[in-house]
Amino acid sequence: MTQHLTIIHLYAAEMNIYGDRGNIITLIKRLEWRGLEAKVQEVGIGEAYEFEQADIIFAGGGQDRGQVAVGQDLQTKAESLHQAAQAGVTMLTVCGTYQLFGRRFVTLAGEEIPGIGIFGAETVGGSKRMIGNITIETEFGRLVGFENHSGRTRLDSGQAALGRVMRGHGNDGTSKAEGAVMENVYGTYLHGPVLPQNPHFADRLILTALQRKYGTIKLTPLDDTLELAAAAVAGRRPQ
Amino acid sequence: MPILLIVWLAKLAAVATRLRGGSGSALPGYLAERLRPDILKRLAMGLSQGSLIITGTNGKTTTTKLLAAILESNGQAVVVNRSGSNLSRGVISALIANLDWRGRPRRLVGLFEVDEAWVPKVVAALRPRAIVILNLFRDQLDRYGELDRTAKVMSGAIKASQSQVILNADDPLVASLAAGLPHGRVVTFGIDALTIGRLGEDRTADSESCPVCGRALHYRRRYFSHLGIYACPEGHFQRPRATVTAKGVELKAEAGSDLKIMTPAGDLSLTLPLPGLYNVYNALAATAAAQAMAVVPAVIEQVLATAKAAFGRVEAIEYRGRHLLILLIKNPAGFTQILQTFLLGRSGAKVVLAINDNLADGRDVSWLWDVPLEELSASQPVVITSGTRGVNMQLRLKYAGIEAEQTDDPLSALNRWIDRAGPGETIYVLPTYTAMLALRQRLAKTVKLPEMNA
Repeated sequence: MTQHLTIIHLYAAEMNIYGDRGNIITLIKRLEWRGLEAKVQEVGIGEAYEFEQADIIFAGGGQDRGQVAVGQDLQTKAESLHQAAQAGVTMLTVCGTYQLFGRRFVTLAGEEIPGIGIFGAETVGGSKRMIGNITIETEFGRLVGFENHSGRTRLDSGQAALGRVMRGHGNDGTSKAEGAVMENVYGTYLHGPVLPQNPHFADRLILTALQRKYGTIKLTPLDDTLELAAAAVAGRRPQ
Repeated sequence: MPILLIVWLAKLAAVATRLRGGSGSALPGYLAERLRPDILKRLAMGLSQGSLIITGTNGKTTTTKLLAAILESNGQAVVVNRSGSNLSRGVISALIANLDWRGRPRRLVGLFEVDEAWVPKVVAALRPRAIVILNLFRDQLDRYGELDRTAKVMSGAIKASQSQVILNADDPLVASLAAGLPHGRVVTFGIDALTIGRLGEDRTADSESCPVCGRALHYRRRYFSHLGIYACPEGHFQRPRATVTAKGVELKAEAGSDLKIMTPAGDLSLTLPLPGLYNVYNALAATAAAQAMAVVPAVIEQVLATAKAAFGRVEAIEYRGRHLLILLIKNPAGFTQILQTFLLGRSGAKVVLAINDNLADGRDVSWLWDVPLEELSASQPVVITSGTRGVNMQLRLKYAGIEAEQTDDPLSALNRWIDRAGPGETIYVLPTYTAMLALRQRLAKTVKLPEMNA
């Protein structure tokens, strides 16, 4: 039987505004090209799921309006997501859901939206938008993307960032930290979308999921010439 | 400074700009506004028959063109701003051009396409008779931040004015702008035809959540992207009845669409020569706006039946013996419509994609991944990508199962296809906005092209 990974696309309908769907497409194709299968399931507001059964969980960014409804629903999924995180399930959260994976989000108006506290982080809404092409350096390589957020995320002193900002704003525009990592759970502000032009990041997510499920140690390398060329172009464009 | 003096200075600036090859559609207005910040308001007072503004993400230029043709046909001479000059300075430039050297306006009805972010300023200064809002799609989000913010900005402008609002009922976010307005101020248009629906799964949808509670809307019919017949599952909100409705729609790809439109003043039956569902909406908007100006159905029907597309949107050009179709793409909804209208099922179509990320195109190209290009792979188009982000487009196509060539320069890409194409073969050119302008400018050196404002 072909090896397969179950990919959960969380809040696909409510948080789908920035091309983050491309991250799902990237995971599916990179598995297919290696002779593996991807089974994608969407889980939305009001839908229950045992997240420990997932191999990869992805959740994208959306508008502030969606954030409130998603924030409320996320509380009902919090326990299952915490268990999954502790069990080593691979997760990638972008922008709005990255913020909700922190402890809380405080809007510009002072309204507090509780998060689920997987990351030791808090986000405060700001009036200045942090927008532009961004490059960060992580322990597994350089990532290139495009950020667009007014929330400033501050990490607790014990919370690891995803990477260090080489060009761009990052979490809060001053700390040079971008994103957050906890075990196999990743959070970032990088759109682009982030996975297609950063194949090493995509493969890291795939490998950790395969490792947990089948004990896989290595992935068949793919020809990433085009992916890297795309990243190079993105990295050279003005901020 | 007296207004007339400002007008002369601006007119001189326009002449100077045109002598240097520019269009004179921005600088005069910019200058005038700097000299006198309330110039727009003052100039608007000269429009004794009032004005209308048209805004929205897609279709402003086409709808403005349709409505201008209808009003002219009805004996109402309009002053229109150039497409692309849809900020306040563009409107001012058009108003100044409309004045003779004694400062008297020649044409008395204003019709202006206005960029979404500039609606509050222009509405406050112009106090238009009507505001037409076509749709709100994800477009250049890196400039506006978010759709909701754009809607909020527009809602504020509407509430602060007395204008009639003409809204797309099939767009949830646009329809929600009617909230709190007296019944008589709102006119809606939409499609209520059972024979159409989108081809394949349309995941380009943006704002498909309830404007009140944020839950995903349920659609009884989905026409394309987030347009359709919708309702909130918790009952907070649903698609309103449309004043002007397309009851019969038969899409005929490049040949256009057969339409049956019902209005309070009577019915229209025509073949619209512009292709795609998106142009059906443009025609509906123009119909509703024309009725607000008391144009009878027979006149509207006759003008729509002879409509021509605006430059660069669907533009057919003969170049080096080949037939080019220039199809502007600006955002996922528009790009998807182009694919579905022109390329789906057309085996081996020769395509040039010219993707730029200049400010006017939108700096963030993530949107390319919201276009369901996977649906196109079965038709096996042959594609060359180009433009400042051509490589990123090429990557997108790789993941959609389409292998494309890449070359930086769009004109080189085009010439490469022409060299390999047979006589009379069609080449489909899909450029983003600045790529379209640049390409047209270069083609115009060897081919006679309609003026940019045609």
